[in-house]
Amino acid sequence: MAIDVRLIWEKLPFLLGGAWTTFSLTCVSMVFATVAGLIVGLLNMFGGRVLGTITRVYIEAVRGTPALLLILIVYYALPRIGLNFPQFPAAAVSLAVCYAAYIAEVFRSAVESIPMGQTEAAYSLGMSRMQSLRYIILPQTFRRVLPPLANEFAALIKDTSLVAFISMEDLLFRSKMVSAATYDYFSPLVGAALIYLVMTLPIMQWSRNLEKKVD
Amino acid sequence: MADDELRSTGKILDVVDLHKSFGTLEVIKGVSFGLDHKERLVLMGPSGSGKSTLVRCLNWIEPPTSGRIVFDGQEVQAGACDIRKLREDIGMVFQQFNVFPHLTALQNVALGPIVVKKLPRADAEAEARELLAKVGLAHRADHKPGQMSGGEQQRVAIARALAMHPKLMLFDEPTSSIDVELIHEVLDVMVKLADEGMTMIVVTHEMGFAKEVADRVIFMDQGLIIETGTPAEVFEHPQQERTQNFLSKVHLA
Repeated sequence: MAIDVRLIWEKLPFLLGGAWTTFSLTCVSMVFATVAGLIVGLLNMFGGRVLGTITRVYIEAVRGTPALLLILIVYYALPRIGLNFPQFPAAAVSLAVCYAAYIAEVFRSAVESIPMGQTEAAYSLGMSRMQSLRYIILPQTFRRVLPPLANEFAALIKDTSLVAFISMEDLLFRSKMVSAATYDYFSPLVGAALIYLVMTLPIMQWSRNLEKKVD
Repeated sequence: MADDELRSTGKILDVVDLHKSFGTLEVIKGVSFGLDHKERLVLMGPSGSGKSTLVRCLNWIEPPTSGRIVFDGQEVQAGACDIRKLREDIGMVFQQFNVFPHLTALQNVALGPIVVKKLPRADAEAEARELLAKVGLAHRADHKPGQMSGGEQQRVAIARALAMHPKLMLFDEPTSSIDVELIHEVLDVMVKLADEGMTMIVVTHEMGFAKEVADRVIFMDQGLIIETGTPAEVFEHPQQERTQNFLSKVHLA
C-alpha cells in the first residue's frame, strides 16, 4: 500500500482547485460569522432580557446540533419553503450561522475576562455604558479575541469539508473523486491531508504567537 | 489659623442614614456624616468594616440601598439626578489603580475630558501633559501601564481623575497594592493635592498621612461609624475599645 507520489503530483492542480473552494468558503463564512458573532455576543450581554434570551436560545440551539444538519437544512429543506440557495451561498450561510454562535461565545468570554475595575474606572469618569464599551472594554476585548478567533478559523477550514454532503467540490470531495477514478484510496486522501495541514498549521501557530503577545 | 477659616466655606457633601446591602448581607448599617469644602477626611477601620463600600456608594459605583446623599447642594437619587454628572464631579482613585492598559499614560488622562466633556483632543492632551508633570510622570507620558510600576500607575490614575476637575476626590485604599518603597510617591502627590485645597475622602491605614493631612478621622466597624474626631483625638485618645484595639494592631504593623 505505497503512496503514489506521482499520482498526487499529477492531480495536484485538480486538488488545489478544491483547496481554493475550501479556502474561499472558509474566508467568506468567517467574515460573516465574525460580524454576526460580535453582534449576537453584544446583544446577548447588553441587549436586555428579551434580546438576551433570543440570542441565548440561538447560541445553545446551534451549539447543541451538528453543523452538518444545518447545512442539509439550508440546502435541502429551505428550498421546500421557497428559499433557494445555490451551493456556495448555502454552504457559506450555514457555516456562518453555525460559527457566529461559537464566535459570540468567544466575544462574551473575552468581555467577561476584562476586570470589573475597568468599567468602574470608566463610570467614575462619568462615561455612559456605551462610552465605556467603545473606549475601554471593546478595545481590550479585540486583542483577547484574536487568538481564539484564529483557532475558530482553523476549525472552520476543517469543518468546510462537510459541504461534500451537498456535493460541493472542495478539497476533500475532489480527493475522493480522484480515489474513485483511480481505485487508489490512499494517495489522494493523504495528499488532501497535507494540503489541509498547509492551511491550518500556520494559522494555529499564528494564534499561539498572538496569545504570547496578549500575555 | 486663617487657613482653617478659608477652608470652611460650607458643605459639599451630606450623607444621611446610608444603608447598603448585598443580598441579605447588610454592609453599611446607617451612616451619616457631612463634609465641608476643602475638608480632608480619612476613613479607617478593619477590613470588612464597610469603608470601601461607603466610598463606592458616594459616586454610585455601588448604588446605596437607602439613605440620602446631598452633593454640592443637589440631592442624589437614582433617576432623579444625573448619576453621570455626579461622577464627573467626583474623582475616584482605586486600590487596584484600574488604569486603562491599552492606552498610554497621556491617553489615560486625556480620555475622560475628550469623551465626557467633549474637549478638543489637543487641549485635553496639553492639560494631560501638565497633570502628568504634576504627579512627576512627564517623562512617562507615552508609556503604557504595563511598563510602569504600581506607584507610577496609581499616579496616572490620580492624574486621570484630576483631569475632570472634580470637586471631591475619593481615594479607596490608594496605597494598599503598592510596593512599600514606592508608597511615598503616591502619598507625596496626595499631600500636594491636599495642600492645594482639594476636598478629599481617603480610605487608608497610613497613619502618617492621616496625621499630616486629615482634618478629621472617621473610624468605622461593622458598617457603622464608631468614632470621629481630629487625628490627634482619635489616634492619641481613642474613646472606643474597638478603635483602641484596631490602632494597637496598626501601630504594631
